[in-house]
Amino acid sequence: MDLECDLIIIGGGLAGLVSGAIAAEAGISTILLRKGQSATAYSSGAIDVLGYLPETIEPFLSPSEGLLAIAGLYPLHPYSIVGYDEHVDTDSVVQTIVEKTREAIEWLKNHLDTSIAPLIGDFDTNRYPITPFGTVKPTCLIQKTMDYHDLETREDSALLFVGFSGYPDFNPAAAANTYIEDRIASEAPPRKVGHCLVNIAPFGKSYNLSAIEIARHFDHKESIEKLATLLKGPIKQLGATHLAFPPVLGIRNGLHNIEKLQDLTGGSIFELLGIPPSIPGLRLQRSMEDVFTRSGGKILIGHEAVSCTKEGNRVTSIVANSPRRQIKIAAKAVLLATGKFIGGGIKGDESGFHEPVFNLMTVTGDYHSADGVLPSRMTNRFAINPEGHAIEYCGLSVDPHFRPIRDDGLEWAENLFAAGSILAGYNYSVEKSGLGVATATGYHAAKNAIEFIKEVE
Amino acid sequence: MNEDEAFEYVKQNLKRKKITPYHPDELEIVRSVESCINCGLCINHCPVVSSVGIDRFSGPRSIAVELSRSPPEFWSTADKVYLCTGCGTCREVCPKNVNIPEIVNVVRARIFDHRLDLVPKGLMLVKETISEFGLAFEPWEDKEEKKESRDMRLEHLGLPYIPDRVKENAEVLFYPGCQAEERAQEVREAAKIILDYFDIDFTLLDEFSCCSLPSRLMGDDKTARDLATRLKKKVKKLGVKKVVTTCAGCTSNLAEISERDNWGIPTYHILEFLIDEIGLNRLSEELEKAPVKDQVHVSVHDPCHLIRHTSRQVMDHAMAILSLMPGVRVTPSDAHDSCCGGGGMVSYHSSDVADAVVSENLYALEQTGAERLVTPCPLCTAQIEKNLFKNGSSIEVDDLTVFIAQRLPKKG
Repeated sequence: MDLECDLIIIGGGLAGLVSGAIAAEAGISTILLRKGQSATAYSSGAIDVLGYLPETIEPFLSPSEGLLAIAGLYPLHPYSIVGYDEHVDTDSVVQTIVEKTREAIEWLKNHLDTSIAPLIGDFDTNRYPITPFGTVKPTCLIQKTMDYHDLETREDSALLFVGFSGYPDFNPAAAANTYIEDRIASEAPPRKVGHCLVNIAPFGKSYNLSAIEIARHFDHKESIEKLATLLKGPIKQLGATHLAFPPVLGIRNGLHNIEKLQDLTGGSIFELLGIPPSIPGLRLQRSMEDVFTRSGGKILIGHEAVSCTKEGNRVTSIVANSPRRQIKIAAKAVLLATGKFIGGGIKGDESGFHEPVFNLMTVTGDYHSADGVLPSRMTNRFAINPEGHAIEYCGLSVDPHFRPIRDDGLEWAENLFAAGSILAGYNYSVEKSGLGVATATGYHAAKNAIEFIKEVE
Repeated sequence: MNEDEAFEYVKQNLKRKKITPYHPDELEIVRSVESCINCGLCINHCPVVSSVGIDRFSGPRSIAVELSRSPPEFWSTADKVYLCTGCGTCREVCPKNVNIPEIVNVVRARIFDHRLDLVPKGLMLVKETISEFGLAFEPWEDKEEKKESRDMRLEHLGLPYIPDRVKENAEVLFYPGCQAEERAQEVREAAKIILDYFDIDFTLLDEFSCCSLPSRLMGDDKTARDLATRLKKKVKKLGVKKVVTTCAGCTSNLAEISERDNWGIPTYHILEFLIDEIGLNRLSEELEKAPVKDQVHVSVHDPCHLIRHTSRQVMDHAMAILSLMPGVRVTPSDAHDSCCGGGGMVSYHSSDVADAVVSENLYALEQTGAERLVTPCPLCTAQIEKNLFKNGSSIEVDDLTVFIAQRLPKKG
């Protein structure tokens, strides 16, 4: 059966869900098409806004410090585009970028407050939570389960990294070694770091465990009490004040479990950041889906947008495929948030970079056409380095309204908007800016789409 | 050696080497597996992994990168590959659209061809039944008893009896599926009541036979293709314009084989048919005319073969129809789209796995406070009903087709 709505969002990651929720809250009838899971579901579960300037190794102290630098150096960065508005005069562009990003991040924090992934932190400072490898990374908001309290300020703090026997994705000894080296170098607490393995065996076997089965196990009753008993010895041995766990302490009940474990052990309990396939990422994804549907949005899972019809300068409908059916959805505006290479928003092959739904123009990091550019030529010899890979800057070039543009610089359609990692001109893995850009561009692209829809009405 | 002899020689050689060449329609599935990027996102979503652990069932990623890559006869995979319930969640969440549920069938088909000793015994019993009767369940020995059972069910549900009809060139073929044909007869009757109520020109098959899904799922590819051919002949002979079914598995399987074998006849679930052909306005009018029943608080289960093998929109139709029913209150369950464990023939040989999977649905269902569960698939109905009963729950389960038929007014 064919459908009709005001706004179609293509893509169900953070950018798509934020923009969908903004539109639905404004009373716009919104349908979100989502084929699978997004890169958000693989993410650490923390909201990075801006951690580093590319090619530098010193992190920013706060998102606003980072945004000031970005606005000055990269006027076409997705964050910078937020500041271009005909109502803003030149002198206040930078301030507008900071304030508009702050508005979006605070919106996100408020909306997730009662979800299974509530966030802590604020826009005026970066935090440095610990990864499962024992390193730290700058980020803006972390999930409440990752709150490490006074670990790095209390003089007598002692941290115990706890791993689970048979869970191969987290090695507590390696994490402890890396982390203590870092703390010794910076001469800051904690000065005592230890590690232990506990045997929880959710299905009676202490080998070959996956994150999801452990997380599900901790959603069940009495599992936390058993864990607390197992921890007594190792806590006493180290004199641990804080305990770091891989982020698998429950899907629905994570926060509740941590509170209970704190009561039972007397230590401060927190989760490390997520790595793919990530439980905190899954919590974030599910929570945002809830926010969207509770705002009145309709989500069509398992539907892949494949083509559109265009009349004059407007997209009039989208065709989407499910495994055995095809539907056509008519709409007044469309917002494209299909991500980059993981989400499938941009595809790279031997003929260059392409956007598969509308065949929009793709560009490289220096805003030349990426049509015909070989992806293999755009990678760096070293997988992990401060420059990142040129390939990650590829994407769509947009106008100040977040509308993808053609090679003549004009918008491809007056009612097609884009947000999130499909945009060109930034590198989220180097900048540590992925979910921040998703939130800020999703939020403001949706505002532009709403304005357009209200105008045509 | 002439051409035919050479062909036979090659075939014998392949058989000796335990190689079954891929069918042309399997090639796309095999190629999709090559695009797996080993990210493991699917593991977080697989209902079997989270219910029994990755040591028991190694999960969709393992199927894509390990189990499907041990040709020719895949014997080393047999303890894992039969535990997939075929729910399709992994394929849906996969960023590369790897067709994992179908590659499972491809692998099972090779094991079936060359290592019959490794096929779970529970499946061999079903295979015998299908070979003998062309049905997934043994038919009633005494036809009179079958009728009595049917009449008792109708009486219990307060439904009238609409006689069977078989005619050529009808608009619609109603295809109930094995479960509704032999066991859940009330579903078959309810669909007839609905079609008759809206004066649809429909027919049944003169001799019912299986849609071939169970054979495909156990790897018995030859029987599956024979059954599909047999059904195509019957459908073409009847000269109908469309096929309507009440079973989720039949919906997706018929849609697939009718396309693969060029039937030229579309197949629909009865919910799709009601929305597309009758329309929500007409349905609303008719449902309002019925005498108001007691208030009922329900929750809904989405069958995998509808949402992940056909289209999620089918369940939007279900919700739209439920919202029209006076006195029916719906509370969605957190696990509404989680597999009931009844798929992939798993319950025929590893019922402990199937029951571990359904426990998540039961928990979420209890949380809704609903007194009744409705679902548009007789197989999901049976699996969930059985487990609720075993757990001593007071929640009852209805097939959605029956639930709708009960809420239509008497035809007058």
